[in-house]
Amino acid sequence: MQEQFNEVFTKYHEVITWGVYGTAIALMLIGLYAILIKKNLVKIIIGLTIMDAGIHLLFVGIGYIQNGTAPIFSPGYENAADRMVDPVPQALVLTAIIIGFAITAVALSLVIRLYKHHHTAKIDQIKSLKW
Amino acid sequence: MVITPIHYIFVPLVAAFAIPLLSKINKELPRIIPGFVLFYNIIISIVLMQQVNEFGYVSEVIAGWKAPWGINLIITPFSGFLVSLISVLGFLIWMYGYRFKQVIDRGELRTYNILQMMMITGAIGIIITGDIFNLFVFLEIVAITAVSLTAFYRERDGAEAGFKYLLIGGFASSLILLAILILYTQVGTLNMAEIADRMHTVPSGIKATILILFIVGFGIEAELFPLNGWVPDAYSQAPGPTSTAFAGIVAKAGVYGLIRIIFTLFDIDGAYDFLITAGLITMIVAEAAALKQTNLKRMLAYSSIGQMGLALVAFGIGTKEAVFAAMFLLFNHAVIKSLLFMTGSILMYNSKDKTINSIKGIYKKLPIISLLFALGAFAIVGLPPFSGFWSKLYILTAAADKNMIFLIVTILAVSIVEIVYYFRVIGKLYFAEDENVIEIHKPTPQAFVAMAVLGVTIIVVGFNPDLVTGYFHNAADILLDKASYIKYVLNVESVIQ
Repeated sequence: MQEQFNEVFTKYHEVITWGVYGTAIALMLIGLYAILIKKNLVKIIIGLTIMDAGIHLLFVGIGYIQNGTAPIFSPGYENAADRMVDPVPQALVLTAIIIGFAITAVALSLVIRLYKHHHTAKIDQIKSLKW
Repeated sequence: MVITPIHYIFVPLVAAFAIPLLSKINKELPRIIPGFVLFYNIIISIVLMQQVNEFGYVSEVIAGWKAPWGINLIITPFSGFLVSLISVLGFLIWMYGYRFKQVIDRGELRTYNILQMMMITGAIGIIITGDIFNLFVFLEIVAITAVSLTAFYRERDGAEAGFKYLLIGGFASSLILLAILILYTQVGTLNMAEIADRMHTVPSGIKATILILFIVGFGIEAELFPLNGWVPDAYSQAPGPTSTAFAGIVAKAGVYGLIRIIFTLFDIDGAYDFLITAGLITMIVAEAAALKQTNLKRMLAYSSIGQMGLALVAFGIGTKEAVFAAMFLLFNHAVIKSLLFMTGSILMYNSKDKTINSIKGIYKKLPIISLLFALGAFAIVGLPPFSGFWSKLYILTAAADKNMIFLIVTILAVSIVEIVYYFRVIGKLYFAEDENVIEIHKPTPQAFVAMAVLGVTIIVVGFNPDLVTGYFHNAADILLDKASYIKYVLNVESVIQ
């Protein structure tokens, strides 16, 4: 099973790499679209989350190397230093996910507050503050 | 106990976690503990500034991982000055806000104090960290706390202002994350000194992309036009002490981020021209918008944006003289604008409908506050002999040295606009007939002390600019000397241990 997977993966490595990058960029663009075009506050927040997800995927993608192993010196992997995937992007992604979670939570609580105040979640109907 | 830079972050974090528990014991503790923590920040600043004066840099290696691999905290003369400024202001703002709020329920009091303290900690973190991802994390701490504080009052439009800020801020932080990602693929490190060291290997197209992403991200905290849509809303909706902290502390951290990234990480000529252009546009738009405001706090917010624009222009000129003048301006802006926000909040609090028109003749009821407000207004427009005059003068001479006539004309023209709108407020304050028959809420003695300290600073520095200029000259020299920063971080171990 593992060998078969490796074989397929080696064969289509190029395709999969570009697939990951392409998905990441597509997610970022979808998120951007939602942030810029959508009028509903919750949808805007979803857009922000999707955009973040795209960036996180890109982070993990750039750290990956073909046939890589975990960046730990364990038995059988003493000389695998050049095959180890870069752990830094993964650590960064964990932090970024947590931060994204916090931002989403604060944003949603603000939406609840706004909804109670204005009785709508449409961004173009909430405009008591202006230049 | 040896005092090291990590105490700036460690102590407030522990206190923030302890406050909810300790508030069960005594409900006054959430008010008092931040005071001790912020006072301790001042002590750390004093100790570290002595070391900075002695060695030039102070750094700390966290968890024993040396600089390129682990996270390091580094205090240069420039960041040391900003951190000390923020510590002192943080403490003064705490004093000012100590009994500013009428007695609100215990939960809100707790949240307010924790958030305010964490916002100051985040701003300090942005300034002292030597790691680009760590910078991002601290920026997020500032953003989340600032948004929550903006939306603090349920009855105002705080949630709307907060949501605007959060949307812009969240988008910007995604861009910064993307910039860090691209940067990491190019140089393979997150340590700022090492990035600066390897920057010359990056192709210029990619360099420009990263720089633009960073500028957009930090421009939001630094109040750069057109990324500053959140500023007037957040400043006017947040509680008084918080808007003071926005102007005095958060904006400073944003400017520091921009300057560190442009001066140390990317050293490309186009970036300086960009700073001048962006700063000029920010300044002109903001001062023009300030002119038509009817709400005093919004007016102060626009004025704050204008001053930040001026600081960026001065940094953009890029000579030693100009950088020195910009630092002086940052110092003045922090002191003066804090005073204006503190006094302005009290004036607004005592006016009928929070507009400039409704403070007519209020000086009879609040003579000292009005006097301090007038002092701040005179200082910020740059009248001699107050401290604001000197920083503006130094910026103008620095621009004159490089024959930037257009810049000088614009700065002077904008100063006239500033004079117009500040003097309009003073005119209403002193020379209009009193129409208000409302009950006056006097500020607390602590608030008086905090404001008096700022007022005295303005006058003392105004008469003796030499007190601070020597230090700023030195700090400007070291900020422009990128090589020594890189050498210090990458070769030398901590001075303290």
